[in-house]
Amino acid sequence: MSSRRKTLAVLAVAGLALAGCSSSGGTSNSTSGSGSGGASGETITVGSIHPLTGALAGAGQLMQDATEMAAADINAAGGIKGLSGAQLKIASGDSQGKAETGQSEAQRLTQSGAVALVGTYQSDVTKNVASVAERSQVPLVIDVAVDDSILAQGYKYSFRIQPNATGMGTSGADDLAGIGEQGGSPIKTVSYIHIQGAFGDSVFTAFKKEAEAKGITIAKEVAYDSGSLNDAATQVAQAAAPKPDAIVVTGYYPDSLLIAKSIAALKPDVKAVYGIANGGFDDDSFPGAAGAAGNGLLSANYHYDATSARVKDIRTRFEAKYGKPMETAAMLSYQAVEVVAAGLDKSGSKDPKKLRDAISALELSDPLLAFDGPIKFDETGQNTNATVIVMQIQGGKVEQVYPQKFKTVDLKFPAKPGAS
Amino acid sequence: MRGLGLAGVVLVLLALVYLLGDKSAALVNQAVVTGTLLGGVYALVSMGLTLIFGVLGIVNFAQGTMLTLSMYAAYVLVTSLGLNVYLATLLLVPLLFGLGYLVQLLLLNRLMSEGETEGQLLVTLGLSLLIANGLLLAFGGQPKSITAPVGGNLRFLGAVASVPRVIAFVGAIVLALALTAVLQRTRLGLSIRAVAANGQGAAMVGVNVKRVFAVTFGLGAACVGAAGGLVLPFFSLTPSTGEQFTILAFVIVVLGGLGSVTGAVLGGLAIGLLQTVGGLFVPGTGALLLVFAVFVVVLFVRPQGLFGSDL
Repeated sequence: MSSRRKTLAVLAVAGLALAGCSSSGGTSNSTSGSGSGGASGETITVGSIHPLTGALAGAGQLMQDATEMAAADINAAGGIKGLSGAQLKIASGDSQGKAETGQSEAQRLTQSGAVALVGTYQSDVTKNVASVAERSQVPLVIDVAVDDSILAQGYKYSFRIQPNATGMGTSGADDLAGIGEQGGSPIKTVSYIHIQGAFGDSVFTAFKKEAEAKGITIAKEVAYDSGSLNDAATQVAQAAAPKPDAIVVTGYYPDSLLIAKSIAALKPDVKAVYGIANGGFDDDSFPGAAGAAGNGLLSANYHYDATSARVKDIRTRFEAKYGKPMETAAMLSYQAVEVVAAGLDKSGSKDPKKLRDAISALELSDPLLAFDGPIKFDETGQNTNATVIVMQIQGGKVEQVYPQKFKTVDLKFPAKPGAS
Repeated sequence: MRGLGLAGVVLVLLALVYLLGDKSAALVNQAVVTGTLLGGVYALVSMGLTLIFGVLGIVNFAQGTMLTLSMYAAYVLVTSLGLNVYLATLLLVPLLFGLGYLVQLLLLNRLMSEGETEGQLLVTLGLSLLIANGLLLAFGGQPKSITAPVGGNLRFLGAVASVPRVIAFVGAIVLALALTAVLQRTRLGLSIRAVAANGQGAAMVGVNVKRVFAVTFGLGAACVGAAGGLVLPFFSLTPSTGEQFTILAFVIVVLGGLGSVTGAVLGGLAIGLLQTVGGLFVPGTGALLLVFAVFVVVLFVRPQGLFGSDL
């Protein structure tokens, strides 16, 4: 009996370890696509792949809702004009947060007639979906997925609106240096706490290169494993030990919350705590969750443009309709559907190959995110004008503070962590 | 005795870290404090599992999601009824006990009589999916958290310990003592130990084995009931929050010895310390690999676990 239990235990541990702690989902919302139709009153199907079940389902569902809302808005405004008012229809796929499921969902959607795909929120899922898009010659407009390597394959059918990891690390370093200069208190040394893996490593590497070029030295690098971070005090103590001018943090929401709370407890003597591509610091629910520990936190990230009237309108209607604030990830999903629609309009065809050519030549002004210019893709499919802006938690709210042209309130710097 | 032995090994290792580790004492102090408090959390989650595993032989894959369920229940009690989270914890213990009792009585007991283990495994796995997706449906996936009714930090030797974590640690010790008292000093505990030792024999002398099974699963669930309320003040809550503990809890339970409450507590502390102090020397996932390496070594040297057959 006992040895049998032991075997079971070992099997259980091995099985769970293999499953990688990820919760697996139940149902997959599926709407089968309809690629064919008459000339007038035609429906064009766009596939949307997001994690609708599993650990990331909250964000995934918002992103799915945003694609539906974008399609509805476009249809209400007369549909795709280049295709005599054809209506958009979203066919949704559930990646369950898993790369292989995302891939099979992409196959299902393209085979059932989707002319383009949007998604997927996670880099590893997006990598697999991009390979399907390439093979089936159906364009993929990436809403959120930061890893550089997705577009480094020489793919012709994948496009990304947001900055990649290297872009975020690089402009994150530029902005940090800029903030120090502007505040008259230059940053000379930083400690960097980041999640282990492609995401954290690539942002850190890019930051390090650019920071060193600007005369900022990395005093300490602390990498942590997201799956087993239950208390960040040790990581923060390690980062604080060399007494840096700033602590930089790259990670997901729960990790960032633990880190912010530990920083508030340990009170290291730094001028700023600064997130780059951070999944928590500029999330609208973060100030409430962190309380005093959130005050003054800076975050360099891509972000919806809070100074734009069009963005304000979309966010207001989204919140009224779905009862939840529209985060940046959902705004990117909305934008991705707009990119597909603009491509369809321009090509005047629902042939995926012609759509691909049209998207690659697009120049979409008035982007929904705070970017340096119109959305415009280079030969790798990366939006050349994608940048990060810097936000800060002030008075319990996430405000845009840097650079000047996107600011909603004045930057507070130096910003002691946890100080009110 | 074995507890002293393990404590001795841990102390010697710590002394080596302080003397030869080439890390500042303040940093190691922080790691020790963090690891000890983290160990308390691990112990909370593992105690229930060790009972269910040791007495019933059920691999409860749902232990982690039951923790999540209890955290959400605490969240609702705090945000909707305005209860103090620690008061809510007291309510959760009987609530989760009832839930565990019913799960065993209505679902698992039917499978136990057939003497197969695969069915139970699937039932608990199914239960875990059901709870996780049910929570997702009801609450969505956005992280939620509460403000702890007591905040602040305790400081000693340059290290910082947040008060809610200290409370959770004390809660773990109290729960372990209470559970040990129930098992060692009460009639119920006697029947549980009898069933664990020899189910058929216990049945022959008039113990209602199925009832004991249900009560044991209930006690196991009650432990995560207490854990959920105690850890909510410092974890952000999503429908998959508890799942990360399932693997470690299995490691701790096998390490400590099936059915041993003392083993679960000391195993939890050892793993917590290994993860944080070890984390000073190996970055990121390395700390977790260290934990699994120790697990494999212990299985090899002492397959019954450190406190095996201690019930």
